[in-house]
Amino acid sequence: MAARAQFENSNEVGVFSKLTNSYSLVAVGGSENFYSAFEAELGDVIPIIHTTIAGTRIVGRMTAGNRRGLLVPTQTTDQELLHLRNSIPDTVKIQRIEERLSALGNVICCNDYVALVHPDIERETEEIIADVLGVEVFKQTIAGNVLVGSYCSLSNQGGLVHPQTSIQDQEELSSLLQVPIVAGTVNRGSNVVGAGMVVNDWLAVAGLDTTAPELSVIESIFRLQDNQPDAIGSNLRDTLIETYS
Amino acid sequence: MQLTWKDIPSVPTSNDMLDIVLNRTQRKTPTVVRQGFQIQRIRAFYMRKVKFTGEGFIEKFDEILSKFPNINDLHPFHRDLMDTLYEKNHYKVSLGSVSKAKTFIEQISRDYIRLLKFGQSLFQCKQLKRAALGRMATVVKKLKDAFLYLEQVRQHIGRLPSIDPNTRTLLICGYPNVGKSSFLKSITKADVDVQPYAFTTKSLYVGHFDYKYLRFQAIDTPGILDRPTDEMNNIEMQSIYAIAHLRSCVLYFMDLSEQCGFSIESQVKLFNSIKPLFANKSVLVVINKTDIIKIENLDIEKQNLINSMKQLSGVEIMETSCLNDDNVMNVRNKACEKLLTSRIEQKLKGSGRIDNVLNKINVAKPIQRDNLERNPYIPDEVKNLKKYDPNDPNRRILAKDIEIENGGAGVFNINLKEKYILDDEEWKNDIMPEILNGKNVYDFLDPEIALKLKALEDEEEQLEKEGFYDSDDDEMNDDNDEINQIREKAQWIRDKQKKMINDARLKKHLNNRAIMPRSKITKTFNELENHMYLVGHDTNKLKDKRTKSKKPSNIKGSDILRGSINDEIRDGGITPLNQSDRLNDGIDDGALRSKAERIVKMERRERNRNAKKGEADRAIGNQMPKHLFSGKRGMGKTDYR
Repeated sequence: MAARAQFENSNEVGVFSKLTNSYSLVAVGGSENFYSAFEAELGDVIPIIHTTIAGTRIVGRMTAGNRRGLLVPTQTTDQELLHLRNSIPDTVKIQRIEERLSALGNVICCNDYVALVHPDIERETEEIIADVLGVEVFKQTIAGNVLVGSYCSLSNQGGLVHPQTSIQDQEELSSLLQVPIVAGTVNRGSNVVGAGMVVNDWLAVAGLDTTAPELSVIESIFRLQDNQPDAIGSNLRDTLIETYS
Repeated sequence: MQLTWKDIPSVPTSNDMLDIVLNRTQRKTPTVVRQGFQIQRIRAFYMRKVKFTGEGFIEKFDEILSKFPNINDLHPFHRDLMDTLYEKNHYKVSLGSVSKAKTFIEQISRDYIRLLKFGQSLFQCKQLKRAALGRMATVVKKLKDAFLYLEQVRQHIGRLPSIDPNTRTLLICGYPNVGKSSFLKSITKADVDVQPYAFTTKSLYVGHFDYKYLRFQAIDTPGILDRPTDEMNNIEMQSIYAIAHLRSCVLYFMDLSEQCGFSIESQVKLFNSIKPLFANKSVLVVINKTDIIKIENLDIEKQNLINSMKQLSGVEIMETSCLNDDNVMNVRNKACEKLLTSRIEQKLKGSGRIDNVLNKINVAKPIQRDNLERNPYIPDEVKNLKKYDPNDPNRRILAKDIEIENGGAGVFNINLKEKYILDDEEWKNDIMPEILNGKNVYDFLDPEIALKLKALEDEEEQLEKEGFYDSDDDEMNDDNDEINQIREKAQWIRDKQKKMINDARLKKHLNNRAIMPRSKITKTFNELENHMYLVGHDTNKLKDKRTKSKKPSNIKGSDILRGSINDEIRDGGITPLNQSDRLNDGIDDGALRSKAERIVKMERRERNRNAKKGEADRAIGNQMPKHLFSGKRGMGKTDYR
């Protein structure tokens, strides 16, 4: 299922929310519309949590996590941490990490098995990521960008990367992550695919501006609703060529 | 590129334009000028008027000139369309005349301002201004026809459909009344008028639809008759230009039933005559109205005729019926497919552009690097989850619904603790202290506190069982009284100490005053005496000393009244001033004294200021007030009127 949503007139869904296979974080906003967009799609399957991180609403960019764990930056207040601990199931570990690159969502991009991280991240952080999230950690860049979390959105079934990623890079990333990878855009041509959308194994939420071809690429690459990634090369080929050139 | 011109400001008639600008001048420039003013001021007054009026006209003209599209900068399709609709030359001439008028007015304004610089009198300046404004008005009045025309163009141009010449386009053309509009109506949501007579459609209509996630525009054109293009009317020319200029898939509609009033032969003939326009375009011949007659039902001759149209490469023939909605979607999809393939073919020719897309259509497949299974994790509930439908009365209640019930956004405040996952539901809304005794509670938070507490309690119980806490009573009872006494005293001492500490603290309280050194603090004799008494000394001696030092005073009331207390009488408290008493020296009692007092009083009285502000006021006022000394004096004298 792929849905469109907007957080207070902003299309950058991945900035204001975080979606994993066992929980979802949503920023506290002026109204409940954004929260309800998640609620409508997710039902009671996983908890959806209103939260702030370090007093800000950019929860998606500040945190990194997957089914097994959640990493929050050192600026997270004790109250926020307590709130998260109370709201997230006990099976999920929560860890506050002291890392200079504190926007963890921008520097870490992970699914339940593999994580790509910013090349400058500290050694200790890398170990914590491996322990808490239970993943293999690789230092990588995406299309020359060090902010892997901003330019890549990843689930256990596929990955969407920066539109200017070369084919060799895609192959490399794909064999690292062990999921099919395609380059693409969200929100009518935005290249920050990580910040523009959130995805887990059965749901993707992108900004309201996302066009139909973009959304169909998202549905195919993340295998949402029985779509297959192969469709991008066959059925969607003409559409994509028409839109992108 | 601009595709619609909806924001052109309306063009007033020349008379309205005059009213607008002159009115504005009257409202926004000063209106009062007098003969007696300096000539510079009068000139400036009129120059400002002329300049302001000129600028007003120029502003209006500029607006017209900038907002109307420049016909030469447009896409060839729009250029030709506007040429047929508005007559290019007329349009250009109209805008040209406005532009000319603008330069005229600029010149008039400049000339008359120059002349006004040499105006000698108010009257002369005023006449110059009148001449300037009059000439400007004449210029504007000459634009009457141009304005009327431009206003009509503006109204029409704003209503033109927004046709993007470069996007994916299906173009529907053919003879009048063959079912072009009904086809557009059945594939898009466009509200086109469909009537059973020819030339229902008199202009281009646009509808949009989606195919393969892409937005297509379908353009319905007015019907074309088979005649040379120079004989065609404006309505037909619109179709011709659309076919000629738009990169599109052309759907040539035909009616085999001949209900449209044109024979099959003439329809084929038209196709052949507009064939040159189909170069580089994909063409689909659509046989409409199959509910009446199909190709198979025609005789061989006509069938051959129709098949002859296929000679042009890439032409395909399809049948449809808009009435029954039969095959309509197939025709549409076929046309879209044809168009897409041709467009993509063209795009693939340029290698630079395809490189950009290549990575977006290439899905990189992973190469297995180990034997680890990396399965997706989808909970089973997801499969059973009912799709949320906002119109379903039994839908899930969302946070939004709760918010609306409770007064909407901005009023309702969410309870963050509502969805806590805790062992006990009642704990949810417990208030957790953040700071306790000046310490951050969270720093001392221990997740294993319950376990540790239990361990402690067990230990305690164990100790109790072993008799660790059993007191040895028998020894205690003997010296119980003594101990109690000691305790009481100790308690008293502690209390006293506390009290002293408290007093000291109170004393320390400075109330924002400076600390005085002990040696500088003056204390009264009384304080000394009290203190000594409190401390426990005998104060009788001190009291004696005080009474001894006090001398009985001999001053009488009358002495005080007179002030004639001399030094001996006065107590030694104040040392005498070393100067004579000038109030009393040389004056006896009685008459002399009262006289002296009277004189003092007189001297101290404030003098008459005589309308001066003070002693230092040396101003001399007007000696001869004009109003009293001028004018005719017919009756009476100057001072008495």
